[in-house]
Amino acid sequence: MSDWYKDAVFYEVHVKAFYDADGNGVGDFAGLTEKLDYIRDLGVDCLWILPMYPSPLKDDGYDIADFYGIHPSYGMVADFQKFMDAAHDRGLRVIADLVMNHTSDQHPWFQAARADRASPYRDYYVWSDTDQRYRDARIIFTDTEKSNWSWDPVAQQYYWHRFFSHQPDLNYDNPAVKAAMLDVMRFWLDRGLDGFRCDAVPYLIEREGTNGENLPETHAILREFRAVVEREYGGSRVLLAEANQWPEDVRPYFGDGDEFHMAFHFPLMPRLYMGIRREDRLPITDIFTHTPAIPPACQWCLFLRNHDELTLEMVTNEERDYMYFAYATDPQMKLNLGIRRRLAPLLDNDRRRIELLNCLLLTLPGSPIIYYGDEIGMGDNVHLGDRNGVRTPMQWSDDRNAGFSTAEPTQLYLPVITDPVYNYQAVNVAAQDKLPSSLLNTTRKLVAARKRSAVFGRGTIEFLRPRNQSVLAYLRRWREDAVLVVANLSSRPQPVELDLAAHEGMVPIEMLGDTRFPVIGREPYFLALGPHDFYWFRLQGRVARPVRYGIEESAI
Amino acid sequence: MGRPEPPEAVRAAVDRLAPVDLAVGLLTYNNAETMGGVLDAVTAGVARHFPGTRTALIAADAGSSDDTRERVGGTALPAVVLRYEAPAGERVAVPFHGVPGRGAALRSTFDLAQRLGAKALVLLEADAVSVTPEWLERLAAPVLDGKADFVAPAYARHRWEGTISRLLLSPLVRALYGRRLQQPFGGQQALSARLIEHLLIHPKWSWTGGDVHDLWITGTAIADGFSVWEAALGRHLVRSRTRATDLPAMLAQTLGAAFTVMERHGDLWLEVRGSEPIPIVGEPASLGVDPMTVDVDGMLEAFRLGVRDLTPIWELVLAPETLADVLTLESGGHMQFPDDLWARVVYDFALGHHYSVVHRDHLLRSLTPLYLGRTAALVAATRALGAAASQAELDLVGAAFERQKPYLVEHWR
Repeated sequence: MSDWYKDAVFYEVHVKAFYDADGNGVGDFAGLTEKLDYIRDLGVDCLWILPMYPSPLKDDGYDIADFYGIHPSYGMVADFQKFMDAAHDRGLRVIADLVMNHTSDQHPWFQAARADRASPYRDYYVWSDTDQRYRDARIIFTDTEKSNWSWDPVAQQYYWHRFFSHQPDLNYDNPAVKAAMLDVMRFWLDRGLDGFRCDAVPYLIEREGTNGENLPETHAILREFRAVVEREYGGSRVLLAEANQWPEDVRPYFGDGDEFHMAFHFPLMPRLYMGIRREDRLPITDIFTHTPAIPPACQWCLFLRNHDELTLEMVTNEERDYMYFAYATDPQMKLNLGIRRRLAPLLDNDRRRIELLNCLLLTLPGSPIIYYGDEIGMGDNVHLGDRNGVRTPMQWSDDRNAGFSTAEPTQLYLPVITDPVYNYQAVNVAAQDKLPSSLLNTTRKLVAARKRSAVFGRGTIEFLRPRNQSVLAYLRRWREDAVLVVANLSSRPQPVELDLAAHEGMVPIEMLGDTRFPVIGREPYFLALGPHDFYWFRLQGRVARPVRYGIEESAI
Repeated sequence: MGRPEPPEAVRAAVDRLAPVDLAVGLLTYNNAETMGGVLDAVTAGVARHFPGTRTALIAADAGSSDDTRERVGGTALPAVVLRYEAPAGERVAVPFHGVPGRGAALRSTFDLAQRLGAKALVLLEADAVSVTPEWLERLAAPVLDGKADFVAPAYARHRWEGTISRLLLSPLVRALYGRRLQQPFGGQQALSARLIEHLLIHPKWSWTGGDVHDLWITGTAIADGFSVWEAALGRHLVRSRTRATDLPAMLAQTLGAAFTVMERHGDLWLEVRGSEPIPIVGEPASLGVDPMTVDVDGMLEAFRLGVRDLTPIWELVLAPETLADVLTLESGGHMQFPDDLWARVVYDFALGHHYSVVHRDHLLRSLTPLYLGRTAALVAATRALGAAASQAELDLVGAAFERQKPYLVEHWR
């Protein structure tokens, strides 16, 4: 199916963090290959691999020094190929990060560009004799960067960078850059990759007098890329946009169904946390009123956490203050405009709230992405600097190094979590695998339940408006199927009366337990929900009389 | 287990009538509408086929609120009427045979038949509307002649009727006990005095267990070496307001009974190999092949819904390779259900019931879509066939159950 991504559950994983097969302290493709069965059994359809390319790793691989290789710590291209084949053998698809906007300053293109004004690579980057151009463009990494321009003493010019100063922006006004990037894409697609998560796409083009984001010229380039992928690789490869923007600004990245297949819904994520903290559905329902319709073949990507900080760029100042107050009590937890914590610590390791947010992730419109380790409630370490605290080794067991590596603990790329609550002896896959009620197994059940109905990936959403503001209720519909989701955002039990008169005669079947609830009538439908409780009801047409097949009278 | 004494009035009636040669038992519950026809057939049957044979009626009534008991009193045959209390749990259920507390009724009827000194007891359904005088003859004669201890019915049926019996119960009984019985839950039956005595003193006849009694009696009769016959009775038609007619309930009750009896008879069927046909009295009817309206599309849709909604339960019940085969059964709107796969499915459900892998009622009901898929496959496979070929098709099902029995035995222990 060409639009497989609409029904898919994604799993975001960093190669270095998942499993170290060669015992050097860094995860690798051979290790990731060994753990594919685990990912498949979680119910995942597609992996999203963070940057895997050679890099000085000043920005965790988003500073690419060679688009055609694999970082030596992770293996070689041959190891990548084995991994791809093993994933496909298991029915898993794989997409990988592709940083389109910039390279590492160690990339040979940049080195050649800075060394010689006459180099054909000089024009691969954006140079200026002054740092006063494009002044309307905001600075994204406010904690570390004071300007989007940096002086290069070798080149004797300023170069443009929207992110770190060691990440010079590529110059997409140069057709050679577009051609080079298309060749990069072809190289990986030829090796079976199922698509790209395209990093930082709003910033490809700079224009004076603009904020340098979401410019029409940028969209034209992206549509060109999509057309090439479509033409040369058929319709089942997928392009996912990272555009940390408001939904109405992200909407153009779908084009008329001819640009990106998918894009992250950034503003929803902080509002899920706000809704649950305020015990009020308004932040969640409100963001959907600001979410435009997208072309039929396109899809939002939803997530609770990822490898970056919990970004608060797409909230108001008041909302950001509230989020800091609620979720970042220690100033060290803040980074840039966000909070560098994992899912479980953000929610005080409260199982009910973790499951509730997973419920929303899996039932709101879009395809969910699970961040590695969140399925077992891994903790973080805010003392590791930058965003490393949420990128620690996967906790497989209570063995040394959490079963992640046989290396000396000091050799690990980052230390495993050892704090009293989230330490790997307490939080690990092996232990949770054995325990039917563990978060891991509950997550597996939720994912499995989601996959039993196409409404979650494809259906419309209609919010109900019960008087109890702590209860979030919405109806998802796709063709003949309808699923009602009811969630208590409050930490206390809540009653709710739902106006379901339009569905009179239907029978709600609770999807996680296959339990029949009373038939819906004209009167308000009453439900009681425990703290952070939720229901997924499949609405089944009421059978006025028993179904008859013509064999009943004489079946015995 | 002690034998409860019947009420004083019943004992007095028994004393007044005993001894008799033939007892005719009717298990009744609100059957006033059909009782007249049954009683007329019995009276005519006795007059026509057993003149001079001392005969008595035994009516065990589950507490009818209509005129059922009065109808029995109005017959020309001498009668003993016993009113019994069905266990509370069975009073609220709607059984497939229509008689709450059927186990208690059977036991009381057997007890009274023995007290009457009857050489043969014929049991008839009080809601059957196709009873003829010849039913009495064909059921009672093999027993009174000393040839049979247990006579089960064989009905004239359409090829798509009786699918629970033909696709499930009969193949199961054939594989378990080695006898090719057509109607394990036949309704009508006859028992000899020595079989009745054997059953009444049998330590494993439990009063409890809902609907297991008929199958337990049949299985015990076969396994303990009694002579089992069949009687060709022609069409079997009932008119009832008290029988369950929704398939999931019927399946859960009948197959649940079969699986429960497998537990109780575990020492009897595990070693049985092969099967034998059963002697039959009367001319067996060939399968009806006249047009019959069945909703095959509906069955296939139910199967698809089962695949969609019940796979998580089936994953717990079915062996992985069996589940994989089941999930790929339907292709392009056509359903073919290989007999050996069907046997493995039923055996996996028996094992799932044995090991209680899922709540047993859920387990049994979750078989319904599979049964409907198998029935749809039967309809498709026999639609263009004649009676003999259709019968051959059905016989293959039993053979597959026999063939796959080692799988069941291996996993049961």
